[in-house]
Amino acid sequence: MHKKGNLLFSFFLILIAGYAALSASHWSFKTGFFPLAVSIPLLVLVILNLVLEFVGGTEKASGPAVEAEFTNDVAPEVARRRVIETFSWIVGFIALVFLVGFPAAVPLFLFSYLAIQSRIGWLLSVSLTATTWGAFYFLFQRLLNLQFEAGVMQTWMGW
Amino acid sequence: MSDAFIDGLFLVLQWKAFSLMILGMGLGFCVGLLPGIGGAATLALMIPFVFKMSPAEAFAFLLGMHSVAATTGDITSILFGVPGEGLSAATVVDGYPMAKRGEAGRALGAALMSSLVGALIGAVTLALAIPIVRPLVLTFGSPELFMLSVIGIACITSLSGLSLRGQLRGFAMGLFGLLLSTIGQERQSGSLRFDTGLMYLWEGLDLVPVLVGIFAIPELVDLAVRGTSIAGDKPAANLSSGVMEGIKDTFRHFWLVFRCSAVGVFVGIMPGAGGGVAQWMAYAHAVQSAKDAKEREGFGKGDVRGVLGPGAANNSKEGGDLIPTIAFGVPGSGAMAILLGAFMIMGLVPGPDMLTKHLAVTYSMVWTLVIANIITVLLSLMVLNHLAKLTYIRGGLIIPFVLLLVFVGSYTANNQILDLIVTFCFGLLGYIMVRLGWPRPPLVLGFVLGKLVETYLFISVARYGFSWLSQPLVLLLIALMVVVIVYPFVREKPAWAGGGD
Repeated sequence: MHKKGNLLFSFFLILIAGYAALSASHWSFKTGFFPLAVSIPLLVLVILNLVLEFVGGTEKASGPAVEAEFTNDVAPEVARRRVIETFSWIVGFIALVFLVGFPAAVPLFLFSYLAIQSRIGWLLSVSLTATTWGAFYFLFQRLLNLQFEAGVMQTWMGW
Repeated sequence: MSDAFIDGLFLVLQWKAFSLMILGMGLGFCVGLLPGIGGAATLALMIPFVFKMSPAEAFAFLLGMHSVAATTGDITSILFGVPGEGLSAATVVDGYPMAKRGEAGRALGAALMSSLVGALIGAVTLALAIPIVRPLVLTFGSPELFMLSVIGIACITSLSGLSLRGQLRGFAMGLFGLLLSTIGQERQSGSLRFDTGLMYLWEGLDLVPVLVGIFAIPELVDLAVRGTSIAGDKPAANLSSGVMEGIKDTFRHFWLVFRCSAVGVFVGIMPGAGGGVAQWMAYAHAVQSAKDAKEREGFGKGDVRGVLGPGAANNSKEGGDLIPTIAFGVPGSGAMAILLGAFMIMGLVPGPDMLTKHLAVTYSMVWTLVIANIITVLLSLMVLNHLAKLTYIRGGLIIPFVLLLVFVGSYTANNQILDLIVTFCFGLLGYIMVRLGWPRPPLVLGFVLGKLVETYLFISVARYGFSWLSQPLVLLLIALMVVVIVYPFVREKPAWAGGGD
C-alpha cells in the first residue's frame, strides 16, 4: 500500500514537473529560465526516486527524517473511515461557505459538527455555537472589519 | 552615545509611549494567536493610527505589537499544530509532538523563554551593530544573497534523512516548493505563469493558505483519527513544573539558543530573507547539532531543542531586521517595509540621521524590543498553565474550533473562497506527504524563498553572466553549501562502513 502510494505520488510529481518544463520551454528566457531551472532537476530527482522504488523495494528509509508521525494505534479500517469523515467535513464546510457565505456557514458547520460528529448534547452544542458565532462576529466583522463574500444563495436571492 | 541610550529608555517609559506599547502588545498577542493574520498585516492596519503620535510613541506602539505577535504565534503552533504566524511554522515540528506527549507546558515554557533570550540578543546586537554593520551588508550582492538562500534550502533538505532516498525526496520537495513559488506574474516581465486562466493565481499562491493547510490540516485529521485529546491518554504532567522545566531547558541548552539567535540576527540583517527563513535555518542548525543519529531521531518527535532554536531565531531576527531598515532604509522583511512607511509618516529619514540626530529614537526602538518581550513572557508565563490544559480537552470538541480558525485565517489572505480551496488542497497534500514519508519543511522553505531566489538569480545572471559563480565569496558559500549537505553523512558512520542504521 505504502509502495503503491509512493509510486502514485512520484507519478503525480513527474506530471507536474513535466508540464512545468514543457510550458516553460515555450516562454521567453526571462519568464521561463527559473521554472525550467527548477522543474528539470525536479523531474530527474523524482524519476531517480521512482527507479529506486522499483529496484530497491520498500526502504523504510529515510533514516531519521525530521517529520511528524501519525498514530498507528487505531485499526486501519477505523482510521481510514475517520480520515474520510474529517476530509468530508472540511469539504462540507467549504461548500457551505460557497453556498451561504462565511458568516452563516460558521454557526451551521459548528453546530452540525458538535451535534452529529462529536455527539455532544444539544444544549451544549447550541451554547458553544452561539458563543463562537458571537466572538466571530465581534472580532472579525466588527473589530477587524474583514469583508466576507456573500454566498451564491444570497446572490441568487438578491440579498 | 550613552546619553542617547538612556534618553531612549526614558522615551519608552513616558506614560503615553508606555501605554501605547501595552496597547500594541495586547493587539499583537491576539493577532499572534490567530492563524493567518500576521504581524505584518496588522502593522499595515495600524499605520493610519500613528499619524498623531510622536516618533517614540509610534515605534513603541508598532514594535511592541510586532515583537509580541512573533512570540505568541508559537503558542498555537505548540498547542494545536497550527502556525499562529507564518513564521512560527518550524515550531510546529517538535512543539506539537511535545504537546501530544503531554508536555505542552514544557514546550511553551521553552518557546517563551528562548524567545525572550533571542529578543534580548537581537536587541543588544541592534544596539551594538548599527555603526559597524554597513560593510557587511554592502559586501553581499545578488550572487551572494542567492547563494545564501540556496544554503537555507540545503540546510533544511539535509534534514530529510541520511539515506539516498531520503535526500532525494528532500531535494525534490525543495525544488517543488521553488516551482510552486513561480505560479503567477513573473516580476521582471509581468508575464503570467501557470495561472490556468484563474485571476486568483496572478499574484501567485499566498503563503498563509499554503502554510496553514500543509501543517494544520494533517494534524487535525490525525487528531480525529486518534479520537482522543491532543495529549491523548498521556498522564497530565504537573503543568507548572513542565513550564519551569521548559525555562530550565533554555539555559541547559543556552549555547544552542545563543547560536540560533545569531542565525536569526544574521538572516534578519540580510535584506528580504524574512523570519520564516531564520526559523527554519535555526531549526536545521538545532538538528545538525545533535551528537549522533539516535539523538537526531528525536527531532520531529518532540525534542525540546527543536522548539528552542526556532523560538530564539524568530525573535532575535527582529533586532537584525531593524539594522538595515534604520541604517540604510533597506527593509529586511515585509513587516519592516511597512515600518519604513511609519518612518516616512514621522518625517524620519532612515540612514545617517538615525545614527546621529535621532539616535535617542533609534535606541528607544531597542528598548521597546527589550521591554515588550520581557512583559510578554512574564504575562504569558502566568497563563500558560491554563493554555496547556487545552491539550486535555477531547479532540471532538477542539477540532471544529481549530478548523474554523484555520479557514478564517486562510480566508484573510485574499478574502476569496479559493483561499479555502487552496488550504484544503495543501492540507490533503500535507497529509499524503506525511503518510508516505515525504518531508514537508523543504517544500515550505522552497516556497517561502522562491521569489527571492529567482530575483537574485536573475539579477546575478543579467549583471555578471555566469562569471558570478567564480566570485570568491560565492565560491566560499558554495563550499559551505556542500559542507551543509555532506556533513551529516560524514559525521554518521554509514552502514556500508560498518556503522549502524
